[in-house]
Amino acid sequence: MAMPARILLVEHNPYNLELLSTLLEKEGYLTLGVTTLEAFDQALANAPIIHLALVDIDGFDRGIWLRCEALHARGIPLLVIAPGTSLAGRGESYRYGARGVLIKPLVTREVVTAIASLLEGSA
Amino acid sequence: MAGESSRISTGVAGLDEILSGGLLPRRTYAVRGGPGTGKTILGLHFLVAGAAQGEYALCITFSEPERQLRKNAESLGLDLHGLTFLDLTPTSDVFARMQTYDIFTPAEVERQPITQKILDKVSSLKPARIFLDAMTQFRYLATDEFQVRKQALSLLRYLTEQGATVLFASEGTAMLPDDDLQFLSDGIVNLEFSLKFGRSVHVTKFRGSDFRGGCHAIRISAKGLEVFPRLVPGEAQTPFVVETIASGVPELDEVLHGGLERGTITIISGPSGVGKTTLGLQFMKEAARRGEHSVAYSFEEEVEIMLTRCEAINIPARAMRAKGMLDIVKVEPLTYSPDEFARMVRRQVETQKISIVMIDSTAGYRLALRGQDMVAHLHALCKYLQNRGVTVLLIVELESLVTFELTEAGIGYLADNLLFLRYLEYKTRERVELRKTIGVLKKRASDFEKDLRLLEITPAGIKVGKSIPGLTSILVQLPTWSPPEEGRR
Repeated sequence: MAMPARILLVEHNPYNLELLSTLLEKEGYLTLGVTTLEAFDQALANAPIIHLALVDIDGFDRGIWLRCEALHARGIPLLVIAPGTSLAGRGESYRYGARGVLIKPLVTREVVTAIASLLEGSA
Repeated sequence: MAGESSRISTGVAGLDEILSGGLLPRRTYAVRGGPGTGKTILGLHFLVAGAAQGEYALCITFSEPERQLRKNAESLGLDLHGLTFLDLTPTSDVFARMQTYDIFTPAEVERQPITQKILDKVSSLKPARIFLDAMTQFRYLATDEFQVRKQALSLLRYLTEQGATVLFASEGTAMLPDDDLQFLSDGIVNLEFSLKFGRSVHVTKFRGSDFRGGCHAIRISAKGLEVFPRLVPGEAQTPFVVETIASGVPELDEVLHGGLERGTITIISGPSGVGKTTLGLQFMKEAARRGEHSVAYSFEEEVEIMLTRCEAINIPARAMRAKGMLDIVKVEPLTYSPDEFARMVRRQVETQKISIVMIDSTAGYRLALRGQDMVAHLHALCKYLQNRGVTVLLIVELESLVTFELTEAGIGYLADNLLFLRYLEYKTRERVELRKTIGVLKKRASDFEKDLRLLEITPAGIKVGKSIPGLTSILVQLPTWSPPEEGRR
């Protein structure tokens, strides 16, 4: 039986993180959630295999882009979550390796579909 | 569980009457209205009525917590003992929480757990009655109007398929109209509150049933919510013998060719102090002598003053009252709506077999009763009484002493009989004095004397004189009379 995919969740707001984790775990994924850049670094250094990263850039400084670049360099598919108001954030997401950008507020069905197709494409 | 054809009570007798006996089971009904109009109270009445019959009754609340609902219900005399609550109101820790979510819409996050709680509660309890307060909250649990309609329809269908009759509160506003919910429901009960006209209810939709249209008055008191359906005169047809009832004053009965007919409406009009109320009470005195009951609704005069006045002119009102032949009810200003007053009259007439009702006066009725369209309400009340064979006396006070009027505007058509009392200037060589007179202008059921007669109110009672000789005109501003021979009256 195949191991479920592990998804790294980078989310500044713990309440948002809880909602994302609950949603994805209900879909059968393993999740690893972090709320700070330091924890992000630690996860990148210590975590076992990460199949996909879901990063909400809202609430982080520009340091978030360095981490996105690192994910990209390691070949981890990256989905960025950006506030609806941040046009610049959407552009930069692609520049730092994002395979897709989801705009808040999210629709659960769209999140699940985007993750599934991204994982399928990178398998 | 009641069959499809039977009705179930809303818990408010007056509303059941408007709804032709109550709600049809296993259907959904919207209770619409602004804040403070009584939607929740009506919903609780509905549930309490079910619980009292041993049914399972469920209150799903989104806005008012259970504890608060119970406390408020207690002050309204509602016993919520047998009710089950599903409290979906936010708890205080939601506010205390430092951060909230912004990653999903509330519709995405909240809908599923709320839906699950409702499904769990309904499937375990299997309630026969559900009150949902307020359905409009579902608007915030959907992402667009299509979803709102779809989810609301689906929820209501689920609840009725589980065997429940559903009442849901709806808070439509100009900014957020609830037209979609109105289309989904099988019936719509609208509650209103206006500073000028008070509380009212009107039904605008009831699939599969007739209902009584128009606005009906509501009262919310320590007894809960009461509805006073507007009188429909035709519903109360009672056979009665059309006969003449005498006043007990031979000369007056002579003028009236025997008296007033039973089941007619008589306007007694005249300026202040001319004896209108006294004349009405004279008919009641004679009715008591025949063993009949009367009631006078006084909008201006206190009961005690009226009783004392009667005693001074040989109308034994206290004794009549003690024997239950006469009731005098003082109607305090702004206490009742016209529908509520009509309900009170109806109850008294039907339980005490009243044969004469006097409304003293129509101006007081207009001022004292909140509401609009006084003529329509008075018309309905008078016609209802008439259909039951009750003789109605309407006291109409005219403001002017010197201009000739018969009644206040708009109500003259109601009268079968029109008695007018007037002042008359009595002139002799030495002095001029005011005398009282009585005349009849209209009598639908019989002929009558066409002249004006002197009227005296004395300690021995009412005295009506013979025709006034030498009177040259009646329909003038202020009749004058100089007797043909000086000193003879």
